[in-house]
Amino acid sequence: MKSRIWIIIFSVAALLCLGVWLFISNVSSPSRVVGIYKDGSLVEKIDLNSVTGEREITLSGEYGDNVILVSNGHIKMKSADCPDKFCVEHGELKSSSSPIVCLPNKVVIKFENSTDGADAKTGAIKCIQKN
Amino acid sequence: MTAAVILTSGCSLESKYDCEFYAMDTVMTINAYGSKSENAVKAAQNEISRLDKLLSVQNENSEIFKLNQSKEMTVSEDTLTLITRSKELYTLTDCSFDITCEPLIREWGFYSGLENRVPSQQAIENALKGVGAEHINIENSTVTLDENTSLDLGGIAKGYASQKAAEILKEYGITSALMSLGGNVRAVGSKPDGEYWSVAITNPDDNAKSIGTLKISDKAVVTSGGYQRYFEENGQIYHHIIDTKTGYPADSGLKSVTVVSEDDTLADALSTSLFVMGLEQSGEFYRENNSLFGAVFITDSNEIYVTDNLKDSFMSEQGFEVVEP
Repeated sequence: MKSRIWIIIFSVAALLCLGVWLFISNVSSPSRVVGIYKDGSLVEKIDLNSVTGEREITLSGEYGDNVILVSNGHIKMKSADCPDKFCVEHGELKSSSSPIVCLPNKVVIKFENSTDGADAKTGAIKCIQKN
Repeated sequence: MTAAVILTSGCSLESKYDCEFYAMDTVMTINAYGSKSENAVKAAQNEISRLDKLLSVQNENSEIFKLNQSKEMTVSEDTLTLITRSKELYTLTDCSFDITCEPLIREWGFYSGLENRVPSQQAIENALKGVGAEHINIENSTVTLDENTSLDLGGIAKGYASQKAAEILKEYGITSALMSLGGNVRAVGSKPDGEYWSVAITNPDDNAKSIGTLKISDKAVVTSGGYQRYFEENGQIYHHIIDTKTGYPADSGLKSVTVVSEDDTLADALSTSLFVMGLEQSGEFYRENNSLFGAVFITDSNEIYVTDNLKDSFMSEQGFEVVEP
């Protein structure tokens, strides 16, 4: 009888610990919600933490296609037909103040909330080059 | 509990409107807080698009394009204001800020549809014939350009546009907003919670990273850097900030200059001109004009120099030197 009470107490304590741990890990994990914009309009919002497997999103613009690659926790411009390819060179999206920008095709990939404490970034955007 | 309720109701009262759009060959964002934020942001966006159509050097319907073609034209108030201001800044910066750079930018191929290339010495000398603000004559609202002179307001138009947009937001009663006009940042007031806005400065060597952060309120922050646009020929890098004294890309020992000012137009023009001047001459310029602006310089050897009036608002993991007033 006594041992059953102890089992119940331990089980409740273990569940409480698990609950607290889940709560803390949920609160402390940074927001990873990304917005993909075309011509200034939202195309899709993606929570990078809930992505399973790999997925490609293709957007067409004045200078051909942009292919975006999404996987768990990661997003990048895989390829682009634009003349400058700055968006591909950018690599993975890492912080909110450095969005992935394809100026020729008017595509922006950015975090919806600040991930690095900065509200904006100066000088980041390279000029359009239409060759 | 009471605090939480007040906090919650405080947040829900504060509406926010975000907008992303394309103008002046770049992407722009405006984020504004307050009940009238949607109308305010739309009005500001319209103003920027209107100025883009007026001031673009490549749009065949713009006043600047037509003036460059005809060499004499009666211009609208905004165009006149900007050309007049540009002439004043040409004098203030000892010819470092120069809107008559158009023939040089063209020779170097930094316009849409042109190929980047290193021009011949002869081509540069020819282009230089029309360069210099003394080739612009203003009488009432008529602007006359000398035969070889053409204007490019690219070094000042975004600053003027952000100033106008900020004025419009304020007219709508907006007390908290943040704009980015292709990397030209403008804060209206402070954040909704009264804190300073935090503006990161791009690391010239790795544009996805920052080299430091400025805490600002109600000011413009503009960065000019060779990294923003360049091409490579025979292993040599040529960037887009042309020194109109030589006709070649400025080689002044700086990777980027960031200017902070309440005057957006000035901040835009100065970021380019201080880049052309280099650190030493910029230091002298700061000592004569330190009430007008503050600046952060990144040198070719990655040292950071910050003007005295910004030393308490700038933070960096790396140490920095202070430019004394």
